[in-house]
Amino acid sequence: MADTPYVIEMLHITKEFPGIKANDDITLQLKKGEIHALLGENGAGKSTLMSVLFGLYQPEEGMIKKDGVEVKINNPNDATALHIGMVHQHFKLIDVYTVMDNIILGAEDTTFGFLKKKQAREKVKALSQKYGLLVDLDAKVEDITVGMQQRVEILKMLYRDNEVLIFDEPTAVLTPQEIEELMQIMKGLAAEGKSILFITHKLNEIMAVSDRVTVLRKGRYIGTVETRETTKEELSRMMVGRPVQLVVDKEDAVPGEDVLKVSNLRVASKLYKRDAVHNVSFTARAGEILCIAGIDGNGQTELVYALTGLEKAAGGKVELCGRDITSASVRDRSNCGMSHIPEDRHKHGLILDYTLEQNMVLQKYMEPRFHNHGFIRFEAVREYAQQLIDQYDVRSGQGPVTVARSMSGGNQQKAIVAREIDRDKPLIVAVQPTRGLDVGAIEYIHKQLVAQRDAGKAVLLVSLELDEVMNLSDRILVMYEGEIVGEFDPKQVTVEELGLYMAGAKRQNKEEQEQ
Amino acid sequence: MKNPLPSLLKKDGTRSVLASLISVLIGLLAGGIMILIVGAATATIGMKGVWDGIRIVLLGIFTTGRDAAGSLTFGFNPNAIGNMLFNATPVILTGLSVAIAFKTGLFNIGAPGQYLAGTAATLFIALSMPVEGSEMVKWYASQGVEFAVTFPQWVVWVAAFLGGMAAGAVWGAIPGLLKALLNINEVIACIMTNWIAANLVTWAFEVSKLKNVVEGTKTGYIYKTTFNGVATPKLGLDKLLPGSQVNGGILIAILLAVVVFIIINKTTFGYELKACGSNRYGARYAGIKDRRNIVLSMAIAGSLAGAAASLYWLSGNTEFFWNTYQSLPAVGFNGIPVALLASNHPIGVIFAGVFMSMLDIAGLQLTNLTAYNEYITDVIIAVIVYLAAFSLLIKTLLKGRRKKQEAVPQPVVDPEEAKIELQKEMEAADQ
Repeated sequence: MADTPYVIEMLHITKEFPGIKANDDITLQLKKGEIHALLGENGAGKSTLMSVLFGLYQPEEGMIKKDGVEVKINNPNDATALHIGMVHQHFKLIDVYTVMDNIILGAEDTTFGFLKKKQAREKVKALSQKYGLLVDLDAKVEDITVGMQQRVEILKMLYRDNEVLIFDEPTAVLTPQEIEELMQIMKGLAAEGKSILFITHKLNEIMAVSDRVTVLRKGRYIGTVETRETTKEELSRMMVGRPVQLVVDKEDAVPGEDVLKVSNLRVASKLYKRDAVHNVSFTARAGEILCIAGIDGNGQTELVYALTGLEKAAGGKVELCGRDITSASVRDRSNCGMSHIPEDRHKHGLILDYTLEQNMVLQKYMEPRFHNHGFIRFEAVREYAQQLIDQYDVRSGQGPVTVARSMSGGNQQKAIVAREIDRDKPLIVAVQPTRGLDVGAIEYIHKQLVAQRDAGKAVLLVSLELDEVMNLSDRILVMYEGEIVGEFDPKQVTVEELGLYMAGAKRQNKEEQEQ
Repeated sequence: MKNPLPSLLKKDGTRSVLASLISVLIGLLAGGIMILIVGAATATIGMKGVWDGIRIVLLGIFTTGRDAAGSLTFGFNPNAIGNMLFNATPVILTGLSVAIAFKTGLFNIGAPGQYLAGTAATLFIALSMPVEGSEMVKWYASQGVEFAVTFPQWVVWVAAFLGGMAAGAVWGAIPGLLKALLNINEVIACIMTNWIAANLVTWAFEVSKLKNVVEGTKTGYIYKTTFNGVATPKLGLDKLLPGSQVNGGILIAILLAVVVFIIINKTTFGYELKACGSNRYGARYAGIKDRRNIVLSMAIAGSLAGAAASLYWLSGNTEFFWNTYQSLPAVGFNGIPVALLASNHPIGVIFAGVFMSMLDIAGLQLTNLTAYNEYITDVIIAVIVYLAAFSLLIKTLLKGRRKKQEAVPQPVVDPEEAKIELQKEMEAADQ
């Protein structure tokens, strides 16, 4: 073994795909026992680089060294043999198996075909004590919390004696408390000599936990800095290439009349017998951003479906601008005064095989100005789309005739935001409008939403990102298991307090909510 | 001056056409190899026979026979070309039927059933509305039966044609309704309605008075529509291509293809249909009634398959064999390869349909003029169909090649999609 402080070195990696250099001469050196953050916007090449390390892609140029010795990683099995492990963003666990079975799955020790569960169990127990990863080994995965499931994933890596642990955006699904615990676990692992690569685009977490940061931008290597010698502002500048405003400037809200009134809304769950949304009541007012916070899967999606007409409500009442729209069609609601930035831009927001201009008129094609007795007026569509593209700076390869599928995620989202805002309706339902977007695009979309609020629109923002919630909202509702468990003023509540409500540890009663 | 060729090649449509042509070429090549192997292995054929076979496959419709010396002669063969167009008519329409359903994201494997529904409706109408002075009226008169009302020939034709389309539409709408309301997979519903149609139609003819009792040996057959004096006008095409079965039906098929093209590409209705087909959830989000569009799309698809049947039987050339009807009409299924080969483009369907029918004619020529049999052309069609399914891949290859040439460093890969892809790959790797 050569004498080197680095456990993994990826030197001058270049990986090309047809028409695009996903990685252009990137160098990443991971020291033994450090937590190394890999920071970059979407499309910066983080995933490609990790795929190269995992043997899923072969680089055109560059080499990988393990402990100073050059290695060839041709497939994930090679990576496993080199003790490189990864916690995926979406866990790869079998719900109906116990925690123990999930951990040993794929790495079972056997005698004559029989599992040697006893030894395995002792090993797992020892590991979980050593690193403070407390889980009930006999619980089924479907019964434990997401944070617990993540610990199971970490235990899986440790059980396989991995030395290099890759965490791919591990905090996306966690509550603030769980994130805090994860940070502690990561620090513990590093202290025990494990080397951690931490992929993320959240600056707070990098500052809190990492030792060094490598920044990528558009497939290029920008630099590696010591975390304690840098600031969030500098990191975001390195990541985006220009100074970014991390906090939105906004005046206090001046709420006007009620726009959306929801009373005792219930939505049946497709998976379980209970309601996905249970007796939810709230009012959204003109000129304010009302935010619904909560952990993913607590009924926010179903609530929005019922509000926008994508699914039927099981009970209750929805009123928009004084009209009962509980059982109105999607188009009725939309014409009546609702625009909707959907949660899933690929599933709902866009027809991916349509061109940008066709997508821009998705709810407008039947307006008289866009057709003549059923025949589409292509020039009118082109003109309108071009106007939106210019006004909202939607970038694409071929302008209005670009196929939506070929656009970047950020520009797809910008196109949807442009389309929905331009419809100029009194209510904007925005569901995770910045999901998966980079800092620059987030900044832009936040500004647009605040501008709409200031123009007297009611904005209903559903978000999983607490930063976004705190930053943007004028009023916060927390949803837990299909119910509203608290209402807050963002100026008078802390992230930690919200986290307790999101996790179901606390709840306000009706009287408190009304205060 | 700029060379116009590269910009033409950049177009998506050009690539589709190229991909289909490549499929066709490889198919013909495979057929050539088959001919070579069969010829080499058969003593009676010999190398001369192989050469003849290959020429017939490539130039089938221009083969005119053999001269006195026994070598093949080529030239304008009006009979072959006319029959090619005649046979192409129904297959273009069933191809359109499959293609328009594909555009709405539905796989219309029910064209045979819709074709049968159209067959029954067309024949019942064409043979139940007596035409003044027709053979049928005279025969009934000889049996002592007089009709109270008679109709002009063209009225009966139009009624039979529209009736066939309507019956096809109803039969297509059934799987459409099942899909829209109960989310039953349209492929399964189509297969079932196909067989229901086969048995229902057999039964309907069995109890009908349309069985041919005039010609003693033909009791298993239904009368030709010409028995009632009804036939699609030739529109002078028989003068152009003498000796063939061609009639105005081919023009109607082409017209319908153009109409479908306009509906799909130029109207708001087509915009809705394609939106549903491409992304049903997205369409629903936009307030498009996806259920209604699924039913409509299947009904239109069914009406086109029904029109295929109408035009085929209204030609008056063929009679329908109703007795012990045990199989589904191949022309219905042939719509699938035609649509595939045309990449579901309505205008492309015209050419794909004509090409498929040309191969059929070449098969007949092969049987008539050489020791080969027509099944060689079935092999060619099979290879082409197989490759047509890959035409998307060929298209992607063409695209990839082009991109490398241009070498535009533009990130057109959606990072999120790349991520999903990556996760899939990792999952696959995990297994």
